[in-house]
Amino acid sequence: MKIVGTSKPRVDGAAKVTGQARYADDLALPRMLHARILRSPHAHARIVAIDLAPARATPGVLAAIVGEDLPVAYGILPWTEDEYPLAIGRALYVGDGVAAVAAIDERTAIAACAAVRVEWEKLPAVLSPAEALAHPEIKVNEHAKDGNVSKQVDLSFGPVDENLERAAAVIEGEFHFEGTTHAALEPHCAVASWEPRGELTVWSSTQVPHYLHRALAKVLQLPEDRIRVVQPAVGGAFGGKSEPFDLEFCAAKLSMLTGRPVKIRYTREEVFYAHRGRHPMHMRFRTAADAEGKLLAVDSSILIDGGAHSSFGLVTTYYSGQLLGAPYELPAYRFHSTRVFTNKPACGPKRGHGSVQPRFAIECQLDELAERLEIDPIELRRRNAMGSDETTINGQRVGSNGFLQCLDAVERASGWKEKFGKLPRGRGLGVAGSTYISGTAYPIYPNEMPQSGVSVKLDRSGQVLVTSGVSEIGQGVETVLAYIAVEELGCELAAVRVITGDTLLCPVDLGAYSSRVTFMAGTAAIEACRAMRAHLVEAAAKALECDPSEIELAGGRASARGRELSFREVARLAESAKGTLVTAGGYRTRKVGGEYRGGSIGASPAYSFTAHVAEVSVDERSGVVTVENIWVAHDCGRALHPIHVMGQMEGSAYMGFGEALMESHTFHANGLHRGPSLLDYKLPTTLDTPAVHASIVEANEPGGPYGAKEVGEGPLHPSIPAIANAIHDAVGIRLRALPFSPDRVRAALLAKGGG
Amino acid sequence: MQRLCTLNVNGETRTLAIEETDTLVDVLRDRLGLTGTKVGCDEGDCGACTVLIDGRPVLSCLTLALSVEGRAIETIEGVARDGRLHPLQEAFDAHGAAQCGFCTPGMILSAKALLEENQDPTADEIRHALSGNLCRCTGYGRIVEAVQIAAKRPAR
Amino acid sequence: MLPLPSCAVSFPETIEQALELLSRPGARVVAGGTDLLPNLKRGLGRPSALVSLARLSGLDAVARDEHELRVGARVTLAELARSSLLPASVRYAASLIASPQIRNVATIGGNLLLDTRCVYVNQSPLWREGLGHCLKADGTECHVVPTGKRCVAAASADLPPILVALGASVRVASKDGVRTIPVERLFSNDGAAPIALGPAELLVEVVIPRAPGTSSAYRKLRVRKAIDFPLLGVAVAVDAEGGLVRALRVVASCIGATPRKVSGLDSIAVGKPLDDATIEAVAERCHGALHPQTNIAADVGWRRAMIPLLVTEALHDVRDAVRTRGGDDGTA
Repeated sequence: MKIVGTSKPRVDGAAKVTGQARYADDLALPRMLHARILRSPHAHARIVAIDLAPARATPGVLAAIVGEDLPVAYGILPWTEDEYPLAIGRALYVGDGVAAVAAIDERTAIAACAAVRVEWEKLPAVLSPAEALAHPEIKVNEHAKDGNVSKQVDLSFGPVDENLERAAAVIEGEFHFEGTTHAALEPHCAVASWEPRGELTVWSSTQVPHYLHRALAKVLQLPEDRIRVVQPAVGGAFGGKSEPFDLEFCAAKLSMLTGRPVKIRYTREEVFYAHRGRHPMHMRFRTAADAEGKLLAVDSSILIDGGAHSSFGLVTTYYSGQLLGAPYELPAYRFHSTRVFTNKPACGPKRGHGSVQPRFAIECQLDELAERLEIDPIELRRRNAMGSDETTINGQRVGSNGFLQCLDAVERASGWKEKFGKLPRGRGLGVAGSTYISGTAYPIYPNEMPQSGVSVKLDRSGQVLVTSGVSEIGQGVETVLAYIAVEELGCELAAVRVITGDTLLCPVDLGAYSSRVTFMAGTAAIEACRAMRAHLVEAAAKALECDPSEIELAGGRASARGRELSFREVARLAESAKGTLVTAGGYRTRKVGGEYRGGSIGASPAYSFTAHVAEVSVDERSGVVTVENIWVAHDCGRALHPIHVMGQMEGSAYMGFGEALMESHTFHANGLHRGPSLLDYKLPTTLDTPAVHASIVEANEPGGPYGAKEVGEGPLHPSIPAIANAIHDAVGIRLRALPFSPDRVRAALLAKGGG
Repeated sequence: MQRLCTLNVNGETRTLAIEETDTLVDVLRDRLGLTGTKVGCDEGDCGACTVLIDGRPVLSCLTLALSVEGRAIETIEGVARDGRLHPLQEAFDAHGAAQCGFCTPGMILSAKALLEENQDPTADEIRHALSGNLCRCTGYGRIVEAVQIAAKRPAR
Repeated sequence: MLPLPSCAVSFPETIEQALELLSRPGARVVAGGTDLLPNLKRGLGRPSALVSLARLSGLDAVARDEHELRVGARVTLAELARSSLLPASVRYAASLIASPQIRNVATIGGNLLLDTRCVYVNQSPLWREGLGHCLKADGTECHVVPTGKRCVAAASADLPPILVALGASVRVASKDGVRTIPVERLFSNDGAAPIALGPAELLVEVVIPRAPGTSSAYRKLRVRKAIDFPLLGVAVAVDAEGGLVRALRVVASCIGATPRKVSGLDSIAVGKPLDDATIEAVAERCHGALHPQTNIAADVGWRRAMIPLLVTEALHDVRDAVRTRGGDDGTA
């Protein structure tokens, strides 16, 4: 390989370290207005009357809108379009938008929002799934078919009851996962500009420009061919920007009303109300094994707190069970998952969508099984590891599988054999494993078109332009696309420019979610580049008077038989011979998944694998847990850019660590968020975050670009259970509720009589 | 009430009319076009808006612009000189210390202030110096290493 | 954007000018601004004018003579943490506050006068409207103690406990001259108006007595190792002679509206060595005397349980000094 497997500076790196990278809030257009959204202070309330007159009368205000001005429902999934840009009739949670005001500057917009008079009739609110199920008459979401049930999934594979019956050990337990949120450092921001020809451009900090494009057309009732969505640099997303939000619709509508560009930027508090973070789940799990520790069955029942809207909830509900079929060979399992609407900000996809919570439960139970059966926890996982090229009991085809190497790597690096069960009291090691998808087999809305498109343009300047609708959100996709151009075309990295996330200029890609980007856009890019390469090889062979097979394209040159041409010369020859040089590639998913309703959810063209070992110390007097080290090994297929791969592994482990010990997205009984700020919501600092030791495992995936699979989300999954299991090794307690805050740890120690 | 304000930013003197209670970050970003300084929370909790005042890192979201008249204000735009990256910028770029890049300007400025006081900081000293700068992408390890790498470079 | 309310900002260069400006109704002092400005951004307080100390000359030095240390009110927390003239416990407490950027501008005066905090108050206007306004901000009820008539927002600064334990005092200037009051008298028991100074008074200096027989220590409980306010702050100071305790003070923050000095410790500790039995008895007494409220975002039972632990750890810090030298005021 020419560049794949090396770690060059990222193509957007220089801009980022100099402050030149332009994020949505860095954009300012001539005549631009600022708008603010007025939000509900109540968890559930009827809007009896709303009077915009005082806002409109405020000097400097140009337009104001309410829910009825945008009356078309939308939703990220076409089956559950159940939200409006601004509340119509009722506010469903604290922070629900009810009006938006555009003014000459933000101070004026804020003052005008404060002048809006809303007459509220407070309604009873349901704040927990149990409460919501008990009170179907308090209907949160009018689109729900059955009371407050958002989605219910019952799936069963293999002889679950028989296997439970014949098991040598059955571990039963209840696990509770409080909510957590993405807290990307960049608050959401959108700028909309309605142009005189009847065209709308929206710049937004989104990770799904294509879906935003479709939703804008639907809600604003504009033809899709008049809308352009541009995604500038995005300051982190983690799933928190993977849906349209109120600000994009409101900015667009206000721009259409005023004929001027409009910017809306969220305050940090508003980001907490936009949320779409990790669902709280209450999980009952039974895990059964035979005397040798071979898994026989898993039986789970999960109650999911969805918040006020569906978001991706239909998929979340499936994911809570569908991703349990690997990395262990599981002959039987069933899950019964129910997602419920409550009067809180909607939950959605956060890094490791839907599967981080059940992974916590099952990996803790594997640890308990190992203890019960007196088997080393790593050995137990080894015994159960499924191989490569196998199909899970729920019909998911696993290709390459480096899970065993991952276990070996963390076992070795952590000194597991010397340390597990042998450290002084108060110090311990824990292990956990996981798998994750490399994109979903099916797009969010059914269609037969490619999931990802990439185009390559080359001209006589020798400059290569790669474009794709894919989203750069910090994960490095622009660098991956440039790498592929260098690898295939032999040009220099500096000669490649990449444009992403612009629905006008770029071929469609569905966005940065479900860890699909490198796999799908990468595959499409290889196809586009190889088509371009064919033109170059043909032109170079003719000029160098050799067979095309003899041409080598590398280092900004074409060479054969000791003679060479510069890349630019080859480009000129190719453009002369072939005309204008533009090629394209696309990614289409082959059919995968089980033959049953929901069988495609969780079905992916490739699966990544991860193992963690965490080392903790526990202060038994205070209950304070300190994570000293996390060793993470991840099978990403081939590592195209090892530093970026390790960066994703380290960042995932960090995020999981924060969820394990300190992050908590929770609410008071009246529906008020407990701390919608970065002071009260605890992102770990440099002084809290442990050393993370990453080892890359490369189990080449034949279907992936140069053998690559995902790395953005998988490595988060084992963080929480590895820490839970390490706490058990340290002080002998099993924690089943998150986060592992010192009060909970201390209470568990006291209950055990060891504190 | 508006008042004229003269600021020395990255060695350039700029005079403009501002609200008396305008914060430095809003003046830098919205009035002077220095958008490299980021707003992550606007209430002093995240460090994304860190700038240097007379060489010391401060939060520009909690700084009244008028209060730093006559002081040397350095933003991320002033760190690269004569078209050349600062060793910290090179190290952040080369070592994967920037992913989404949103914390990066503040992180680099906090690190720059540290290196001007301490040419050979330990990892622990770096972690303390950067403890007011939140990063959501990296897990910090690469940032700490990048600062160490930059510290070992000969001064330009 | 969280804009600050519009108001006049002035930059006096002398104390006299500052006092003149502060004599106008509704004027507020802003020093580092790291406590006041976030609160103003959240609509907590509506000053008619801000009087910035940014260009004031003086009040920025640490000085010492044989009796006392004098710290100018504008000395920053970063400077405190670095100053070798100060007791190690004070330097340590300063080094734990907030973040490096905040310590670079926040001042000792500002930390002493930090507003009290409450999970039901330190929120946005939207949030407080949803809950219903309270005693501390625009309302008449209390969400912590529903029957309460007095605000119990918690003293949440790190320096007051240690400065009270060391018997420090502050010098306060007004048009009538300068008065000196003990730090512990700086606070009122009303969380809604926690500072017992007149609106036109300016804290100018902190005076810490030099006491060669005194040893002191501070312990802070928090979730993260940076940025966070304390969930509990405990300071101890022990005067000793010949290895025996002459006086012992424990002062805790995050309990109520004022830093709480635990009473009744002399009868437990005076005349005794600072051994395990004494430490345990002191910790026990503190546990019995201090009752945290539910208005800080951590489990209240756990916070209470941590009181004896922090007291014990702090006393362990000073035990060697008490035993071997009779005392150590930590100054160089």
